[in-house]
Amino acid sequence: MSFAALCLALAIAQSQDSTRHIAIDERLAADAHLHLGDRVSLSATPGESGSVATIGAIVRRSADPAEIARGEYKVRLHLTQLQDLLGYGDRVDRFAVATTSEQVIGSAAERINSAAFGFRAHRSRDIAVQTSATFAVVSRFHRAIGVITIAASAIFLLCIMLLKVDERRRDVAALRLMGISARTIVRGVVLEAAGIAVFGSVVGVGVGLATSWLVNLHYQGVYRTPLRFSIVTTDIMLGAVALSLVLGIVAGWLAARRLVHTPPLALFGR
Amino acid sequence: MLFTLAAASLIRHRARTVLAILGVSVSAAMLLDMVMLSSGMRVSFGSLLTSQGYQLRLAPKGTLPFDTEATIKDGDAMVSQLLARPEVVAVSPVFGGQLYILTAHGVIASSALGVIPAVEADYELSSGRQPATANEMVANDALLAATGASLGDTVHVGSGFDSQLRTLTGERTLRIVGRARFIYMAREQKGAALPIETLRAMQGRDADGRVSLAMVRLVPGQDIESERAALERLFPRVTVISIAEALKQVDERRSYFTQLAVILGAVSLVVGFLLVTTLVTVSVNERIGEIAVMRAIGVHRWRIVAQIVLEASAMMLVASPVGLVLGLVTARYLNSILANFPGMPERIDFFYFQPSAAWTSLGLLALSGVLAGIYPSWRSASLPIAITLRQEAVG
Repeated sequence: MSFAALCLALAIAQSQDSTRHIAIDERLAADAHLHLGDRVSLSATPGESGSVATIGAIVRRSADPAEIARGEYKVRLHLTQLQDLLGYGDRVDRFAVATTSEQVIGSAAERINSAAFGFRAHRSRDIAVQTSATFAVVSRFHRAIGVITIAASAIFLLCIMLLKVDERRRDVAALRLMGISARTIVRGVVLEAAGIAVFGSVVGVGVGLATSWLVNLHYQGVYRTPLRFSIVTTDIMLGAVALSLVLGIVAGWLAARRLVHTPPLALFGR
Repeated sequence: MLFTLAAASLIRHRARTVLAILGVSVSAAMLLDMVMLSSGMRVSFGSLLTSQGYQLRLAPKGTLPFDTEATIKDGDAMVSQLLARPEVVAVSPVFGGQLYILTAHGVIASSALGVIPAVEADYELSSGRQPATANEMVANDALLAATGASLGDTVHVGSGFDSQLRTLTGERTLRIVGRARFIYMAREQKGAALPIETLRAMQGRDADGRVSLAMVRLVPGQDIESERAALERLFPRVTVISIAEALKQVDERRSYFTQLAVILGAVSLVVGFLLVTTLVTVSVNERIGEIAVMRAIGVHRWRIVAQIVLEASAMMLVASPVGLVLGLVTARYLNSILANFPGMPERIDFFYFQPSAAWTSLGLLALSGVLAGIYPSWRSASLPIAITLRQEAVG
């Protein structure tokens, strides 16, 4: 079987016996209202009379990230069928070779390449890295956006903590006048900040999980693919909680430190 | 007076004001970046398409230019028909293929465009000249670097391989006469252009008269859409794409980035708004007594509202220029990341700065600053004066 991008014209054929079977993707089946057993005419050039084939299978699109941005339909044909259709003779675009073990992959590729003319053997792993380059770029982009978002969140958190602690100027002044040490007050504020940060991040994880579910629901519908666009892993959740905790503690500590360094009477406004 | 009071209030809580300005700056930067991202690629691609002056593109039915290997049969006849139309000024046919160049270190593969040099619109010459004879070609920097060739050198090329005979097929010896920058090719992509007849001849008889794409330049003032429809009727086996249609296709493909830009832009705006609202609300709550005194001595309610709104707007306005500069720097960095997209034309920018983007961001920030100040100020200015003064005095 071989893949063919659908620059092939498809038209429902009226009659033909003993036709070969092809597989089409489910998007094409849905858009062209095609069903199993339908006969279609395939040609390499629009408008030309081609060969007739029967739809033998409707296949679901694979969860391949490289395919999502491409909107074209896919038809799978027998290799010789497509070669005949395109006038390719016995040419192929690529073929896969299975080796007896993983250890011999490198030496097999080297031997093929030393003898090859007009083609080249690549390790499947290298091809996978090359074809996922798009997603490596998107991933780097997301990471950069994430850093900006974290910077904005950190400032926001610091502001809120500053205000929260500032609101308790009188309480802090009273505690200081009662003889409670600055250290104890700072610890209390930091503990409170940590509590708020943990509670906030747990709520945030819940919002993140819900958003991730919505993102997948939306984009799987838009691109008609089973691919999962957003995955919230345990590592991500723990990372988010840890980051939030660190930011909360630092913000609380800075705000509390500023307050305890102000004379208690000044905090009372005198 | 109004400005003095607002400034005094902001200066009284320096740390708070600085943090707010910093927070709004980051939000403004993000907002500008997202406004630039939402339209950048479209504007950038649009300017690329219009730069060469061709308004319509004809590709094999159901495909976009060079999206597949499909070609238009009888392309030369189609070009003649197009040129015979009074609405058409020029037609630039293009035939795409591969070029394999023999070097001392092996064979180098390159994309090749067969063009008519006098009307081509796929590349810009940076040095040298256009191919004038059948055995001349231009190449881009990536190809020249890979082959080690320079202008004036001759290279031995083929259009395919004969694996059994271990030779190139469609062999030619071509002279490199120009260094070109291909408009639609990716930065790392090796590319060459040669006369269309030469490339067709190299590919054999099957390629006779075929074109992969034809670009059409119309008479100035001609209605592009009606001509597009007329050409689609005239040539049922081709898809005629106007610039508007091409941009629509681009919009579909970049929908992910548009949605991301809208979501993150909205989040940035909301974060900036919330930050300023929170700070202004707290600041106003702290000054309830002061506000009540002002009201008691006859200061009009609207004046108090104006002062507080001014404080909020001042924070936004001071933060905005900082944010815009920060936004331009981060946009440049983010653009450099996305420029590494495989196959992305070198001249496409995801983040495209337009003055309108800056004005839009500034306008949105100023508006959110005003809105952020309205509620807390109105609330504080509406409190009953006597009760508030009594409560503040008792503590």
